[in-house]
Amino acid sequence: MPPFALKPLSAKTQRRLIVIAVVLTVLIIAYKVIYPLAFESYVGKTNALLTYDSSRELTKTQFDALAQELSMDARQRKADAMVRTDQKPFARRVKIEMLMNTPSFIRDTEPSHIKYFRDAGIRRYDGPETCLRCHASIQVKHPDGTIKTVATLDDIVNSVHFKFQSGASGFSTYGYDGRRVNSGLHKIPVGKINRACGIPGSFTWTGWAALVKSHSEPDGGTVTLRSEGCGQCHIGGNYQPATEKMMPIGDVPGEAKEGIDCLICHSADYDMNQRHVIQDKQGLRWNQDRSLRAALTVGSIRSENCLRCHQHNMGGDAYAHNAAAQSLGHVNQRILHQGAKRGNPFSPQDDVHAAAGIQCTDCHLPEGHKIPRGRKGVDLVANDLPTKDVTCESCHTQAPHNQSKYKALLNGHIARLACETCHIKELETDNVVLRDWVHPTWDPQEGIFEPTDIYRSGKPGKGFTFLWFNGNGTFLANALGNNPNHSDAYNPLMQQVARIDDPEIIAAVRAKATELKRQYPDIDVETYVRAATDPLSQLAPEMLAKREAMIQHNLRPVMNQGESRIYPFKLFNAMMYEDMSNQGPFGAMILPFDYASYYETGDAQASVKKAISDQIVQRMYQEPFKLYMMDEFMSYFGITDGWKTVYPLVDGKLKNVEPHWMRQMGTLMVNHGIQGKGRDCIECHSPDGVMNFRQLGYSPERVVELEATDIVEKTGGEMRVNPVTE
Amino acid sequence: MTSLYLYAGWVRAWHWLNALLFLMLMLSGASMHFAGAGWLLNFAVARPIHNIAGILLTLGWIGFVVGNLTTDNGRHYRVHLRGFLQRLFIQGRYYAWGIFHNAPHPFHPSAEMKLNTLQQLSYLGVMYLLMPLLILSGWGFLFSIYLPETLFGLGSIWVVAMMHLTVAYFLVLFVLVHLYIITTGETLTTNLLAMITGWHREQEAQTHMETPR
Amino acid sequence: MTNLSAKRTNMRNPDTQTDNVRLKGRHFPVRLSLINVVMLALLATAQPVAGESQATDHQACLRCHAMATLSYRDPGTGNMINLSVNPQVLSHSVHGELACAECHEGEFDRYPHPENRVRKTRSCVGCHEDRDDAKDRVYAFKTIDAEYAKSIHATSDSADVKGFSCHSCHDPHRFRASKVGEPLADIVRDDNQVCLSCHEKVRDPVSDPHAWLPNREKHWTAVRCLDCHAPLTGNGQRISHQILKAKDSNRDCVNCHSKEPRLLNRLYQYRSKADLANQGWFNKAIFNDAYVVGMSRNPRLDLIGLSVIGLTLLVLVAHGFGRYKAYQRSRGIK
Repeated sequence: MPPFALKPLSAKTQRRLIVIAVVLTVLIIAYKVIYPLAFESYVGKTNALLTYDSSRELTKTQFDALAQELSMDARQRKADAMVRTDQKPFARRVKIEMLMNTPSFIRDTEPSHIKYFRDAGIRRYDGPETCLRCHASIQVKHPDGTIKTVATLDDIVNSVHFKFQSGASGFSTYGYDGRRVNSGLHKIPVGKINRACGIPGSFTWTGWAALVKSHSEPDGGTVTLRSEGCGQCHIGGNYQPATEKMMPIGDVPGEAKEGIDCLICHSADYDMNQRHVIQDKQGLRWNQDRSLRAALTVGSIRSENCLRCHQHNMGGDAYAHNAAAQSLGHVNQRILHQGAKRGNPFSPQDDVHAAAGIQCTDCHLPEGHKIPRGRKGVDLVANDLPTKDVTCESCHTQAPHNQSKYKALLNGHIARLACETCHIKELETDNVVLRDWVHPTWDPQEGIFEPTDIYRSGKPGKGFTFLWFNGNGTFLANALGNNPNHSDAYNPLMQQVARIDDPEIIAAVRAKATELKRQYPDIDVETYVRAATDPLSQLAPEMLAKREAMIQHNLRPVMNQGESRIYPFKLFNAMMYEDMSNQGPFGAMILPFDYASYYETGDAQASVKKAISDQIVQRMYQEPFKLYMMDEFMSYFGITDGWKTVYPLVDGKLKNVEPHWMRQMGTLMVNHGIQGKGRDCIECHSPDGVMNFRQLGYSPERVVELEATDIVEKTGGEMRVNPVTE
Repeated sequence: MTSLYLYAGWVRAWHWLNALLFLMLMLSGASMHFAGAGWLLNFAVARPIHNIAGILLTLGWIGFVVGNLTTDNGRHYRVHLRGFLQRLFIQGRYYAWGIFHNAPHPFHPSAEMKLNTLQQLSYLGVMYLLMPLLILSGWGFLFSIYLPETLFGLGSIWVVAMMHLTVAYFLVLFVLVHLYIITTGETLTTNLLAMITGWHREQEAQTHMETPR
Repeated sequence: MTNLSAKRTNMRNPDTQTDNVRLKGRHFPVRLSLINVVMLALLATAQPVAGESQATDHQACLRCHAMATLSYRDPGTGNMINLSVNPQVLSHSVHGELACAECHEGEFDRYPHPENRVRKTRSCVGCHEDRDDAKDRVYAFKTIDAEYAKSIHATSDSADVKGFSCHSCHDPHRFRASKVGEPLADIVRDDNQVCLSCHEKVRDPVSDPHAWLPNREKHWTAVRCLDCHAPLTGNGQRISHQILKAKDSNRDCVNCHSKEPRLLNRLYQYRSKADLANQGWFNKAIFNDAYVVGMSRNPRLDLIGLSVIGLTLLVLVAHGFGRYKAYQRSRGIK
């Protein structure tokens, strides 16, 4: 026996080791197998291996033909752009042909993945699996110059693009209870997935993928299936959002990771017509373009890639230059959402940066798959890089005006005004301000019932307003900030975003209410107008008093933080069904709608009942969910005595559910649709200017001063920012 | 063999504390003064050590003075003028000549007089001249802003610094000589042991004892 | 005529002379060059303007100039021209009590202001030295002026110093003397920031002219640029305004760290005061952050001290050796 050999273990030790090994095995099995199964049965959802029709194996000949076509296309496009146009068409054609067949030109122009795939023998795109064959890890460059190698799949799965929530801190959102979201010990998963429009996460769960039977009148009322749901944009999740990431333990199942649509972001030639709902034996889910054509045209990310999804929330679906909205699907076409969320497009036609060829990622400079959205965030949106700035100043410096003879004074305004305040002069006219979900109207064109837009406008003071903003926002998306004089006079949650005084808007709302009354005789027009334009009138007096106290006590300190500037904010309010058991001074918990029944029948109540019958919503009205996150969530929501688990559907009837407008309008930041030429001085600095200086918290004397342009008038005439002559 | 209890407990305690502080001050002082020379303490470490030891030294010195005023230890520092020069000469001659010729030690400590004249003189100089200067200049360093901007037409900080430095060199000199002189007792360790135990032990009879008036 | 800025104006306009103009109702003489007066007159006739020129009071000016970002980039140099005046800083500055018009006379109540008004350079010495209390003030502006005349900022023929004036370093709208008790690091940083705002290359790690300096970062946070780049003068001024050329500046460590005590004196006292003000008596005694390496260094004293100690050691060794011999002898006798 060698001198250092281990002694045989005693029987006792052996027994112990065996016990430990068994316990570990059981734990691993429990975590890897039993927990996911238990989770799936708890939420009533499932995952399955996914197949996509577009993912087909090509023969070598087909591959070569496709490669040839893509290469020719790319060369043709580039050569067209390069060869001078001021020559005889035939001469130009010959030159283009010569250029297209020049070896170095082919090498530099042909999509690079043609060669990679050919060399690797890849003739079928299988989703992330294919990408990861080469890109298992990526190098991420951080601003401090360090370069880290990370696993690609982990990087994307843990990004907000996949999870659309974050359980970590780094929010600029404050609860109405005055606490910064997730700054305490009890961190809850929050973000777009569970913003308070709809019980947290309920809409994304119940409305992930739906097939709607439409009866378009121009088509003679024949039934056509249409696609709808959150999953059309969100890459994480297949039959449902990838909510596993919201749990304290557990991981996203492999099937869900295999369902990630890499190409929608990375491919130049992605067919948005493939993006529609399909039904398989597991349920409804969103189809993808997994064609080799899309895979071979993978290249560096350009704005077009981002805008496939993001134009939806900027210009809107109905925006003329929304490219994705031109490709609604080969079958089951996606439903276009009328009424723009921001009416603030990023496109060469309407944005000076897009026109200059600036790409999204020039400002939103990614770190791996984490993409910064800036430090300022008014709505409860998770942020992958909460400390990274996305600002105008980072390119334009603090003195961006170099043309005007008033450049110094214009630059002077930057201390108080965001660039957007002058350089976004109007939003799209279909920008929706007031939307009634409770009284849908029939759209004969689409053949579906749609929520009724009571008021749309892109005009300053109507479709958007100007608010002080220091980068913080409330849990229900209200910009926070204050006049640097820190006066209490500025109180948007009681004024600007809680009341509409503009007689023009009130008249428009009244007209729309009268129109709705024909369809819904129960509507009392004056009551309707009051609730829509003065949502605080829905609050009981003691609730109103509590609200004022909470604003002063909880939010005022947050408003006074940092340095505020005046930003434009798009205004939005909606009438929805609310669970009145969970009501506070800032609103009650909104209930989700089931898309299919809503669009098909226009019976809003029935649609709510259907949506809240979903197992996941029932779970939300149970104790574990309450303890896990809802009590904390409600505290941020302004309701300090916790989440009431009174399920609002009893014997098929809605209980303690009322239709209401939110108690204040949400304010959405608008940052795109930038115009090169800003406002003229007189647009703000006049008694009937677009800015209400009094409501912005200026003293009466200062208001007089700000509304006057006496200094300038002495030069003889109206002050114009861009004088024709110097 | 004679045994004399020469050093009271507090004297010994003070002495050894003083010795320790001297060592610390010398080391930390040199570290600050010659900051940058590799073998010394780190400047940032030396600074608080020097300051704390200096403060303790001040307290010790005050204790010493108070002790001498209130106990009979003070008499050892009283200079007896009669025969002073002669005693000084005898002691000097012994160190310069006698000691090399195995002459008997001219001085034998007694309860009345434990210090020989040369010792007495140097201790007087050290304890009542150099130490106060050292302490004053040290505190002057710390609270220099209460000093006038200039002293004798020179920047006061500089004056203080130079005084502190000069006195420090003298005291280092003293320590060296002191350490050597310790070994000049009857045996090499006679004096050292006396300061440890308090008892001065000698083999020889007191043949040459001087009894001052 | 010692007024430098006016002198510079003269250099550019050799045929003009300077004159004293006393403003209406102000006992505050302002020197300005004749050409400006002529321009003023021309403008007054060309563009009659409603209201008194004196009407431009503090508040009216600050209505625009309080804007923190009131600035533009100079089309010629690309540099930022900052026109902003922070009202709080202004009111705490040495000039806080003056009305704008006391220094900026002219037609400023219209926007945009006439070009030539804006370009005019005001001088410090003109105002400061002619006033009655000139003798009482801490800073002797005549001396400063004389020092400045020898400064590299005045003598260099580099294009970079074109138009250099007092205001290039001392923004008259924010200038104030540092006070004891302010953290020293802040004072040093603020002071050096003035220099670094032009001399940003100093921080460039690639072409760093201070590479030779040991403990460079420490020096930068603890010592003002001026402490090495200005000579020590005996005229009672706190610091000389004669900024030295790089090659004339102090590169000798012992100049600060031992031999020449005056700089040390100045620095040490300042830090001592700050220590006491910020940390209290006890902490001061224990830590004495003010102590500067080499405070007590004096090469001559060191030489003497160490020699005496060395000699003494030699003597003691010799003495000991003698005793040992004697001891051996005595043993031999026995």
